[in-house]
Amino acid sequence: MPPAADGLQAGEPISEQEALRRLRQSDDPSQQYYGAWWLGRMRSQHPEAVPLLQSALRQRRPRDPGAGVEENAVARNAARALGKLAPAAHAAVPDLLDTLEDPDDGLREAAARALGELRAEAAIAPLCHRLAGGPAVAGAQRPDSPRLAEPCEALLEALGDIGRADPQVLAVVEPFIAHERPLIRSAAARTLLQLSGDSRWGALLVELLEHPQLQVRRAALMDLGAAGWRPGFEAIAGTLAENSLKLMALRGLVERGRGEPGDGALLACMDALL
Amino acid sequence: MSAVPPPTVAARIEAVQRADSALGLLRATQELAACTAPAAAPTLVEVLGFNNPGAAVAAVDGLISLGAAAVEALLQLDPDNYGARAWAVRALAGIGDVRGLELLLDALGSDVAASVRRAAAKGLGQLELGGLPGAEQQGVRQRCLEALLAATGDGEWVVRYAVAVGLESLVAGLPAEALERQQARDALVGLSQGGDDTPPVVQRRAALALSRLECP
Repeated sequence: MPPAADGLQAGEPISEQEALRRLRQSDDPSQQYYGAWWLGRMRSQHPEAVPLLQSALRQRRPRDPGAGVEENAVARNAARALGKLAPAAHAAVPDLLDTLEDPDDGLREAAARALGELRAEAAIAPLCHRLAGGPAVAGAQRPDSPRLAEPCEALLEALGDIGRADPQVLAVVEPFIAHERPLIRSAAARTLLQLSGDSRWGALLVELLEHPQLQVRRAALMDLGAAGWRPGFEAIAGTLAENSLKLMALRGLVERGRGEPGDGALLACMDALL
Repeated sequence: MSAVPPPTVAARIEAVQRADSALGLLRATQELAACTAPAAAPTLVEVLGFNNPGAAVAAVDGLISLGAAAVEALLQLDPDNYGARAWAVRALAGIGDVRGLELLLDALGSDVAASVRRAAAKGLGQLELGGLPGAEQQGVRQRCLEALLAATGDGEWVVRYAVAVGLESLVAGLPAEALERQQARDALVGLSQGGDDTPPVVQRRAALALSRLECP
């Protein structure tokens, strides 16, 4: 790749000013893409970061195999970055809510995750609306691709991250426990566990730790960690998966969980996995 | 019914070499690891390079249970086989033989994988120094300490967690007034107070180490 006009090579560390400049220009979407990523990754507190990401988010286009793809890639990264920039990014919640209605499901997914990270209560009703058809509608596989009609994992997990345990929310999430895909079942169980603390959802995740597919076992580990469900610690330690993931899950139990077992048992369990 | 005698070590080694599927290799490695015979070590080390994580875990467990008898085979490993080296660091960290010192120091200081650095950090805290003359013990411990202190600035939380574990075990047996113990304590205080990037789990582990060092 040729050097950029200012002499910087692709992949070199850049400054905050440089990231803002790349996002601000509009000639080269790949530079905007990197600038948006950088601002989220470095959790930029610069006052221009959120407004620039908001305008990048508005640049989205209907999905088009030609010119539109790059634009949505920038918008997707802008959504992801906004999720990492609380509290300043609360100003961008209305833009993210608009994005949740975009025809591009990849963008809806990024927006849902960002709204979850920002714990945006205003997103609860639209997230529930997207999921309201249940596994047979929102969770149905599309005729033309292996993707589902809605990005169900992200929508479900956002509801858990926002964390309001209304009966209406629980009623929308619960049917996904019966979804045919184990990754969706895992996401639903995680959300129900976060919202209700009911141990039957924890037990369901522990069952998924024994699933024959490694990908499912990994997801269940992350979901137990996200919910901080401490009774699952021994099952986590015994899962057939990388110790790195088990350690991340156990960290979630230490930092997010409460009650028994106490920190001593959890830390001893982590020590043994190093 | 007549009892079938268990397969010999040689037969189990052959089974590992003949395995023609990932699952077959895993089972054969488990069988070989279970017999804890020093003659199994070179084959178990070979399995580390087969790019089969399940079998490598079984081989590491087997090598650790062999202890000192596995060290020579581990040190003869091809240094260019990165995957195998990462597993070997874990095995050497678990065995605690001082002959693994150089490999562990190098791994903690420069390995690209956090999983290898974290294993090395824990291992540097638990090398068996009892067999060395006093002055040499001191020298080895000093090198372990310096490497662990340098790694308190590692970019990955899990490595800093392992550094807290390593520092605790490295100095736990030293007298309260030992300089190394003071240095380890200072580093643990830093980790326990954290900063923006030090997550609560690392702070809590460092605080636990401090409390144990203070009330042995």
